[in-house]
Amino acid sequence: MSAPQINISDVASLARLTLTPDETAKFSAQLSQILGHMETLSQIATGAVPEVTPPAQPALRQDIPTPSLSIEAALSNAPAQANDLILVPRILE
Amino acid sequence: MSTPAKWEAVIGLEVHVQLLTQTKMFCGCTNHYGDAPTSHVCPVCLGLPGSLPVPNEEAIRLTLLTGLMLGCTLAPVARFDRKNYFYPDMPKNYQISQYDDPLCAGGQVPLDPFLFPKEIQDTAEAKAGRAIRLTRIHLEEDVAKSFHFEDRSGIDFNRAGTPLMEIVSEADLRTPGEAFSFLGSLRQVLLAGHVSHADMEKGQMRCDVNVSVRPIGQKEFGTKVELKNLNSTSGVRRALTYEIARQITACEKGEAIAHETRRWDDEAGATFTMRTKEKAHDYRYFPDPDLLPVRTDQGLLEAARTRLPELPSVLQARLIQAFGVTAYQASVLGADRILCAYFEKAAAQAKSKATVANWILNDFLSTQPDPATTPILPEFFGELADLVADGTINSAQAKKVFAELMANPASPREIVKRLGLAQISDVSALGTYCDEAIAANPRSVEDYRAGKTNAINALKGFVMKKSQGKANPLQVDEILKAKLSA
Amino acid sequence: MSLAYETIATLRHRLLSKEIHPRDILKDLFTQIDAREKTLHAYTYLNRESALAAAEKTDLSLPLGGIPIALKDNLNALGDPCTCASKILEGYKAPYDATAVSLLRQAGSILLGRTNMDEFAMGSSTENSALGLTRNPWDPTRIPGGSSGGSAAAVAGRIALAALGSDTGGSIRQPAALCGCVGLKPTYGRISRYGLVAFASSLDQIGPLTRTVEDSALLLSVLAGHDPRDNTTDLRPPEKFLTQKNGSVQGLRFGLPKEYFLPGMDSETESAIRSAADWFKKNGATLVDVSLPHTPTAIAVYYILATAEASANLARFDGVRYGRRATDARDVLDLYHRTRSEGFGAEVKRRIILGTFVLSQGYADAYYRQAQKVRALLRQDFEKAFTQCDLLLTPTSPEPAFPLGERTQDPLKMYLADVFTISTNLAGNGAISLPCGFTKSNLPIGLQLIGPRFGEETILRAAHAFEQAHDFFQRLPPS
Ligand SMILES: [Mg+2]
Ligand SMILES: [Zn+2]
Repeated sequence: MSAPQINISDVASLARLTLTPDETAKFSAQLSQILGHMETLSQIATGAVPEVTPPAQPALRQDIPTPSLSIEAALSNAPAQANDLILVPRILE
Repeated sequence: MSTPAKWEAVIGLEVHVQLLTQTKMFCGCTNHYGDAPTSHVCPVCLGLPGSLPVPNEEAIRLTLLTGLMLGCTLAPVARFDRKNYFYPDMPKNYQISQYDDPLCAGGQVPLDPFLFPKEIQDTAEAKAGRAIRLTRIHLEEDVAKSFHFEDRSGIDFNRAGTPLMEIVSEADLRTPGEAFSFLGSLRQVLLAGHVSHADMEKGQMRCDVNVSVRPIGQKEFGTKVELKNLNSTSGVRRALTYEIARQITACEKGEAIAHETRRWDDEAGATFTMRTKEKAHDYRYFPDPDLLPVRTDQGLLEAARTRLPELPSVLQARLIQAFGVTAYQASVLGADRILCAYFEKAAAQAKSKATVANWILNDFLSTQPDPATTPILPEFFGELADLVADGTINSAQAKKVFAELMANPASPREIVKRLGLAQISDVSALGTYCDEAIAANPRSVEDYRAGKTNAINALKGFVMKKSQGKANPLQVDEILKAKLSA
Repeated sequence: MSLAYETIATLRHRLLSKEIHPRDILKDLFTQIDAREKTLHAYTYLNRESALAAAEKTDLSLPLGGIPIALKDNLNALGDPCTCASKILEGYKAPYDATAVSLLRQAGSILLGRTNMDEFAMGSSTENSALGLTRNPWDPTRIPGGSSGGSAAAVAGRIALAALGSDTGGSIRQPAALCGCVGLKPTYGRISRYGLVAFASSLDQIGPLTRTVEDSALLLSVLAGHDPRDNTTDLRPPEKFLTQKNGSVQGLRFGLPKEYFLPGMDSETESAIRSAADWFKKNGATLVDVSLPHTPTAIAVYYILATAEASANLARFDGVRYGRRATDARDVLDLYHRTRSEGFGAEVKRRIILGTFVLSQGYADAYYRQAQKVRALLRQDFEKAFTQCDLLLTPTSPEPAFPLGERTQDPLKMYLADVFTISTNLAGNGAISLPCGFTKSNLPIGLQLIGPRFGEETILRAAHAFEQAHDFFQRLPPS
């Protein structure tokens, strides 16, 4: 495995980020350096190693209602709202 | 539009089912629809920074129960994963779902022949008795509901985070009728387990369809098209019928099928391109680090097992065997557990259980009753059937009793008394009526004796009229025949 | 002497004996803050009025009754801002309490204010704050460490008695080391993360920054325990830590991992750590050479897994439900892009992109999945080491505080600053950093003691013994 050439703009767009040309250039260089450092990992033999963390028996939640936020509290941080709905610019399919 | 013999369709379904829990999948907010917007939200289901999910054990049990009912392999340890994509109805911009280790794998849905569309229930397609294999069943959280206005959209987060079970079928379905029966048959199972109300028209069951066509005999699949906006079982059937014909026409013209998502427009009766799939989504699934793997083998599975209901196919076989109902009646009864329980009560003590089935499935059902709340006791139907069977009333009288029963519910025996309907079975009284009939209708007597046996009907009619419909018709027939041949 | 110089334990005694009132502590702290905060900029926000109001109605019978505590600005406290030092959370006011915050309230403590940090806890110097940088109390031209740099600077600079921080790869211990205070990163699952704005969920842990080990134990006793709102908290019943303070380290085995003592390491740091080890030996402990062979992979594993998790955790900051929203967006997609591009700083963007990449189709196997497997090996290293010793003894940071601005243009070099702390998060173990010496230029040096999972009692006992036998914790930064 050699450090891959990432298309930074594609990855950024998956993460809903738009980079300036400056950022694109800077991040490309930095990330290829970082990914270069990560190459060490490909040398580690992990064939038989399970990827999963050991399963613990977690405490699950009983199906009993607990209080919700008041409508006011729930909407208190909304940048735009009307009729108790949070508003966004039109969603395009 | 029927599929020309040289082409066949290949159909796979992804069905999302809303679960009957009190609370949401990962928080304690109420799982209920139709309330004021934003009234059932908390930091967790609103995706506030710092909030954490905790799985609802009941949702896991219901999913395991569904897996048990459908013969799936159940995972001893299951995991939740994050499915990453941005959408305003998704608070965290990732959905907690299951990817690598779903709760259930495999299994199947047997197609009930009587849950095919009515007009094809007699065809070989419906009678084939196929079972459709399932790929998997997993549990995830639902998204919020958006409302689109002219230049903006509004979001209500009440539905966000409610538990959603996703059932994925193999591409085993071949016809729109099979898809129709699949959804109906699956719904019967879900209802039996009290897993969901599973009403497509109410959004409690939602269905995405993948469909392609290929020449019969070809192994490879054609290019598949995904259909969206299917809001009823019949919508699924109509959309598939349209889409299959569209694809076949295109193929026959040598056109390529585009790999795309199409929207079913029920009014137009056609599908339209929604988006083309140039680039596959990259969901970047990975195990949700906020949630530990779930062990199902330490109590959850056992709890689900204790809730296993009588499955539709088992119930139907029992109804046929124990009550002598027809396969069709068994399917109708099996489809409504409350009605079925009502019927079983009604028929339990009755001499002719098949008669009770007829009363309930024809006459009673046509009054559109709610068997859960009707004031008419199920035992009344058994009694009514017995009154006919033991000759207390005849079938014409029984119709009257039934009408009265619907109007003023009371024991049929009482109604018979009240209306003075009891059949006259007394031989000497009937003999007198018969003598009168013979005396008053010499022509008919002559005809009968000349070999026109139908002429006896006029005499019977006379007796019935004289007795105000109370004469036992079978006995009248016997007595008349005896007197005429004397 | 100003009450701001006291420890929680001492103040509690004086409060209970009615010698002082909670408002006296606050007054002294505010005097101290007025004098030093301009230089340090440890706080993003101060609750002056509400703290004074709370001081008038404290219940002194509670374990932290009347004690003011500062919170890292990534913990939700009802009604307060919670900026994560990011522009994207502009205007956000928490509509709920983090479990740790509500436990502090229930224990009677007073919420003093919010401390500065690297944006979304991403950094090792607190220079990645959108709200300005924090300075090291020992030398204001140097970084305080990070990401809990504000918490460490406030505690070391005597403008907070104690603060909560969060530690994902060393973010409590490294600033504690560089500022000369005590920083505890508990075992993963010990303290509820509910209400802590997530950076990397499988690594994040809340912990205290204090002047002394005893105060650290006091706070841990209040905060530890299962929380039904956090699926990853351990189910064991609540514990009280360091109730026995006999000062003995007799019979304890200290492992010195050879991978943490490399040729060319900072000599002042090395000699301080070696003499700490010698002290333990002189006092009846034994020293064992151990190996954690996968240590060289830790930075790579960490920056793959932490950024992968972060890329999803930070997806919710989109301008829809809270925080900053970009204006004039054409549609929702445009809203996302503008809000996030304007709202996140460079380091956060860099990590989101890295995390998105290592999870993306075609690369997830080589990066994300491989890193998960190597993480399992790292964990095994620790399990094996703890069959040979009771505690691991290492430096917290490879070197003392470096000058402001020195590494902002070299992220990889910055990442390497976490080399001694990161493995502990990957393995899930608890660890403490406490002062163990000073450089010739009077910069603090931190000693790290790592315990087996849920081995906090041993960690605290050993740390307390060392601390009380030395005067490092009593030294004051220049004012
Ligand atoms: Mg799904
Ligand atoms: Zn909720």
